[in-house]
Amino acid sequence: MKICIACGMPMEDASDYAMGDTGKDYCKFCARPDGSMQSYDEKLEGMTDFIVRTQGLDKQAARAAAKAMMAKLPAWS
Amino acid sequence: MKNIAETGRQMSAINLKDNINPQRENQRQKQKNATRRLIVETALKLFALKGFTTTTTASISKEAGVSHGTIFAHFKTQEELLVAVIDEFGNRINLRLHELAGGKNGMKEVLEAHIQGLEEYENFYTRLVTEYRLLPPGARNTFVLIQSAISFHISQALERDISEGRVKNLPVHLVFNGWIGLLHHYLTNNDLFSPGGSVLQRCGQELVQYYMDLITRTSG
Repeated sequence: MKICIACGMPMEDASDYAMGDTGKDYCKFCARPDGSMQSYDEKLEGMTDFIVRTQGLDKQAARAAAKAMMAKLPAWS
Repeated sequence: MKNIAETGRQMSAINLKDNINPQRENQRQKQKNATRRLIVETALKLFALKGFTTTTTASISKEAGVSHGTIFAHFKTQEELLVAVIDEFGNRINLRLHELAGGKNGMKEVLEAHIQGLEEYENFYTRLVTEYRLLPPGARNTFVLIQSAISFHISQALERDISEGRVKNLPVHLVFNGWIGLLHHYLTNNDLFSPGGSVLQRCGQELVQYYMDLITRTSG
């Protein structure tokens, strides 16, 4: 099992991978509609919005946490 | 001539280095990694038992059977060790929660998976929740990361349950925080709810049932 290099999500099924392609190192949530991997800014924005939407954090606090999380991932470190 | 001989000696020295040292380097690196793992494992155990703020590096070195200096050869400061241990814990529990909650369809299954995953790490997680505000920023960010693994699965299950009319149309973040609030209240006061034993084992099922009753849509 691989772990998405861009967000850290474990990828178990082919459906977890970008475009269902298990040869890719990133998940469906880190892919653009054309299958390429999102940029740092796109991912930071997406992760911040996700934290705000699902945990209700203040936007600045969510952004700081998202930045710290991304710093530990292979795609961005 | 001298220069050529000198160069030759240098080259053979380089060759020698290339031929012999990688193996020794490799062994040294393996040993180093093993010691680092031992320190992290021991710290995980002691933090779970005694908490983050009261566990000393001296007690970790004693328990691990390494010198006090060895700890600081691997981690420059106590804070660096703390962050590394909490990171390691975060990776493990994220993987476990994902394993348990992934592919689950409904809210009830996700909440049950959350309880089950936390039960396996109950002491450490309870320390984390109790001492959260005293931790350095690096460790606190890992806490948000751990919560993100579960908020992800809750949001997916909730959206499905809402769209299929099983659960009330409630905002995701409040369903998440309501659940976490309830759970953490029981964990941080485990001495009152389940003295000497696992509060999740004793009350987990009841909490899931209660929370599901709260959010389930009743017909009519």
